Amino acid sequence: MSDHSVPARGVAAGDERAAHRGAAGSTSRSRGTDRTTPSEPTTGATAASAAPRPGKPVAGETLLEIRDLQKYFPLTQGIVFKRTIGHVRAVDGVNLTMRRGETVGLVGESGCGKSTVSKLLVALEKPTSGSILYKGRDVARMSGRALKDYRREVQIIFQDPYASLNPRMTVGDIVAEGWAVHSDVAPKKGRLQRTQELLDRVGLNPDYVNRYPHQFSGGQRQRIGIARALALRPEVIVCDEPVSALDVSVQAQVVNLLEDLQDEFGLSYLFIAHDLSVVRHISDRVAVMYLGSIVEEGTDEQVYTSPSHPYTQALLSSVPLHEPVLRGQKDRILLQGDVPSPANPPSGCRFRTRCWKAQDVCAEQAPALVDRGQGHPSACHFAEAREVVPVDAE
Amino acid sequence: MTRPDLSPSAPARPAAGNPLLEVDDLHVEFRTRSGVVHAVNGVSYSLSEGETLAILGESGSGKSVSAQAIMGILDTPPAVIAGGGIWFEGRDLLQQTPDEQRRVRGPGISMIFQDALSSLNPVYSVGYQIGEMFRAHRGTSKKEARQRAVELMDRVRIPAAASRVDDYPHQFSGGMRQRVMIAMAIALDPKVLIADEPTTALDVTVQAQVMDLLKDLQRDTGMGLVLITHDLGVVNEVADNVAVMYAGEIVERGTVDDVFTDPAHPYTDGLMSSVPQVEAKGGRLQPIAGQPPNLAAIPSGCPFHPRCPRRRLGAAAAPGRECATDVPPLRLVVPGREAACHYSEEVLGV
Repeated sequence: MSDHSVPARGVAAGDERAAHRGAAGSTSRSRGTDRTTPSEPTTGATAASAAPRPGKPVAGETLLEIRDLQKYFPLTQGIVFKRTIGHVRAVDGVNLTMRRGETVGLVGESGCGKSTVSKLLVALEKPTSGSILYKGRDVARMSGRALKDYRREVQIIFQDPYASLNPRMTVGDIVAEGWAVHSDVAPKKGRLQRTQELLDRVGLNPDYVNRYPHQFSGGQRQRIGIARALALRPEVIVCDEPVSALDVSVQAQVVNLLEDLQDEFGLSYLFIAHDLSVVRHISDRVAVMYLGSIVEEGTDEQVYTSPSHPYTQALLSSVPLHEPVLRGQKDRILLQGDVPSPANPPSGCRFRTRCWKAQDVCAEQAPALVDRGQGHPSACHFAEAREVVPVDAE
Repeated sequence: MTRPDLSPSAPARPAAGNPLLEVDDLHVEFRTRSGVVHAVNGVSYSLSEGETLAILGESGSGKSVSAQAIMGILDTPPAVIAGGGIWFEGRDLLQQTPDEQRRVRGPGISMIFQDALSSLNPVYSVGYQIGEMFRAHRGTSKKEARQRAVELMDRVRIPAAASRVDDYPHQFSGGMRQRVMIAMAIALDPKVLIADEPTTALDVTVQAQVMDLLKDLQRDTGMGLVLITHDLGVVNEVADNVAVMYAGEIVERGTVDDVFTDPAHPYTDGLMSSVPQVEAKGGRLQPIAGQPPNLAAIPSGCPFHPRCPRRRLGAAAAPGRECATDVPPLRLVVPGREAACHYSEEVLGV
């Protein structure tokens, strides 16, 4: 692990990590809640505060820049002679930047195109138009050596830990597979040891290298997926719904592991999820997607406490709250109808068919994603900040 | 009621009428070639008219199996109801013949499932499937059943019900399919509706619509609702009472307000602090260590003890309250609250 290229980090981060090194493991006893267990020993970072966690890298230079990204999938008719009769506009004009060490959350409901964005980012799909700039270079134009490097530096963790691991390969082979292509990352001799270090780092017993995926639980499998992504020493990890398939008590273990790894290796995450609470917890900045485009973007604080796009407001108001005292205190915005088909999206603003603020201008003019006086960009002609989620009383 | 005995620790029942449904010390096992899996181990609860009871638990906690036992839809074998009773309106369903059970359950208890697409038959129109309830249990004509189906689709707020009644399940969106399921479930005005993760597969805005619909229907009909879920937020927003399940047992029970404000069982406490909240960014999450137990080899003593931060083993434990050997009974800790932990008073801080 020590040979991992690690950016400079504070001493405090090291201590904090040491305290949590075992916490990622399944045998951990490190606990302590600020709820009802004052007598329990608490670890340093447990105090509930909105301050960035200690050891978290400070966002650096721009790493990824997505400009006007579009991905259309053709709809065809006919069996022998296929005619294109239209397009599903899965991603339609997405702009997003990610800086080094940052976690960008991407939230939206099913079918909004967030997973297509993740596939475009790891170059599994080619964009229809627009560009993804990685360290200033356009990914779509990369080839040969540059593309190979890009594919090593940008890794992905998938949602379904049952489908994303090959059942016929041992855990060791799964984690080490990337080195067959990127052989310069790990010298042939030390690979077994390196695999075991990686398993240990993600909280799995290093002796499990020869086991098969079916011998692990969902949370453990997700750790294997994380170890596989880490093996190539990436700079960016695209996390596509990494905790959605896990039980709640296991979800927290994986979220904490992702945070620790970010601190240790200076990783940048694009964290894609539909669970607004998890996204708020882990993200520095949040982008909200609806029907192929981003409707609002800002820091987690801006988006969650003063959402200004009606869709963000509706989304937030639908999240059930956990505190009995807050029950019934939030605005209830019930959206009517369903999301329109991305094959035939509404003209102008995509959201206007379900929006209570819609006027004629919304059908004629697509609102740009710009700051409309709220301090963060919002793609609504009538953007207006509104507190939807009550502030936690605690 | 001819129910034989009420356990001394029965919680204060809500004033909203008599219990409609009582599950009494239910045991369900799956007898497989590789051993016996104890899915439900002595679960008891009751449901009154108009009450919403949430059964909260993670996958494999036995929450769905107990509901399937009530509905009589367990696959037997391998499943076996190894003990206990299920009392509905004063009769023990388990003592009745399958035919009698069917006549009671059909109009009395109904259930909706998580995955509406696989629960609907793809080769029949939704109108036909909703109408089947009337044809089978009321003997109405096909034409009238179809008309009733339109009314029901209207009632569950499916737009343009009259023109969509002959559509097939695949032509509906996820939220609309779940409404079709709800329409089937409420067709015969059941006294009890069991909803097994009804909104887990749905997006959050659609989840809000469906939960709203269920609450409105409950208000209109006064039915009792058993809501099975793993989502703490959903429990908080819609349920009156909650039973928390772990390893096939109820480990805590009480009103949602009490349990969520001040959990009395370490597992409930752990769940609460492991979930991030939308209303605040919060500090580091506090996960429950380890994995949920294998139901074929449930730990001795308290099933939660290997993961419990408060366990007391050996000499540290009070006599008869050793966590690895003595099974903690579900007992009354404070008025209106039961928990299955030797040290609930400490967890509560009373």
